[in-house]
Amino acid sequence: MSAVEAAASPAPSEWRRAARDTLPMLLGFVPIALVLGAQAAQKGLAAGELVLMTGLNFAGGSEFVAVDLWASPPPVLLIVAMTLLVNSRHVLMGAALAPFLAHLPLRRALPALYLMCDEAWALGIADARRRRAAGLGFSLSYYLSAAAMMWSTWVAFTGLGALFGPAVGDLRPWGFDMAFAAIFLVLLRGMWTGVRAAQPWLVSLVAAGSTYLMVPGGWYVLVGAVSGVAAAWALGGRS
Amino acid sequence: MIDPLVLLTVLGMAAATYSTRAVGFLALRNRTLSRRATRVLEAVPGCVLISVIAPRFVSSDPRELVAIAVTLVAAARLPLLPTVLISVAVTALTRHL
Repeated sequence: MSAVEAAASPAPSEWRRAARDTLPMLLGFVPIALVLGAQAAQKGLAAGELVLMTGLNFAGGSEFVAVDLWASPPPVLLIVAMTLLVNSRHVLMGAALAPFLAHLPLRRALPALYLMCDEAWALGIADARRRRAAGLGFSLSYYLSAAAMMWSTWVAFTGLGALFGPAVGDLRPWGFDMAFAAIFLVLLRGMWTGVRAAQPWLVSLVAAGSTYLMVPGGWYVLVGAVSGVAAAWALGGRS
Repeated sequence: MIDPLVLLTVLGMAAATYSTRAVGFLALRNRTLSRRATRVLEAVPGCVLISVIAPRFVSSDPRELVAIAVTLVAAARLPLLPTVLISVAVTALTRHL
């Protein structure tokens, strides 16, 4: 293999490492993608149109909101504005990832950010921190492999959901949706460095939980994240 | 043929989402951060993750609370895959009660 090819395709061991960490996550992706596809079909979106949306946008939360608001003709501005709002947390996520990606040329960093869904980002940043603790640099191969597996699973199963949704029925009784909570809690444990550093998490949990109960829509994620970050800023001045 | 308004909506969504993904990185990539700013950024991942799953912790359905409690205990002790399997199984079980 030439050096150019070696640089273009992920090292096999990094790909395998990413697959091992990503597979449990895909278990959570599949039922959610099928549900989104089934809802989209009900709203009159063709499978091709939905696949275009999930492939180009690749942010599940905003896609559920878009399908929920969908009509014929679609309310273009409302859907685009809600997408911006629901995904505003990505600004913080990109900022947190910036120190790890800063050494990359833009032609590699910008496409990598295109695939930055919550789960790819969470795996990528958890891996980056482990590697930093071991004196290693960011593994773009690991991150891209994980993100590409998530992207292809998401696009394929949202499309299948739109084609066969009505026949699949309700998957919620089978508990698959809890997979994301389990994954995120394991990732949080990996980020745990002590009660003090985790205080902002508690602020986020309380703020997001109470916003969820009081305000309809996806606001709770933004309110929770911003509240926790504000708490971290306030606590950061001490010690 | 795809409807032009559908295409416009999808392209608008994609542009909105990509801008949120690129802007935080572009703003910070050439900066040297203060110690406080670094600490704040280190708190971001946990804050985002816990906020996304926060609704699980305030469910009005006691079965869902049992499921998230078991998930929390499993996540504190076990590797990823066993945690996910236990969590999904317990959730399915409580929903069938």
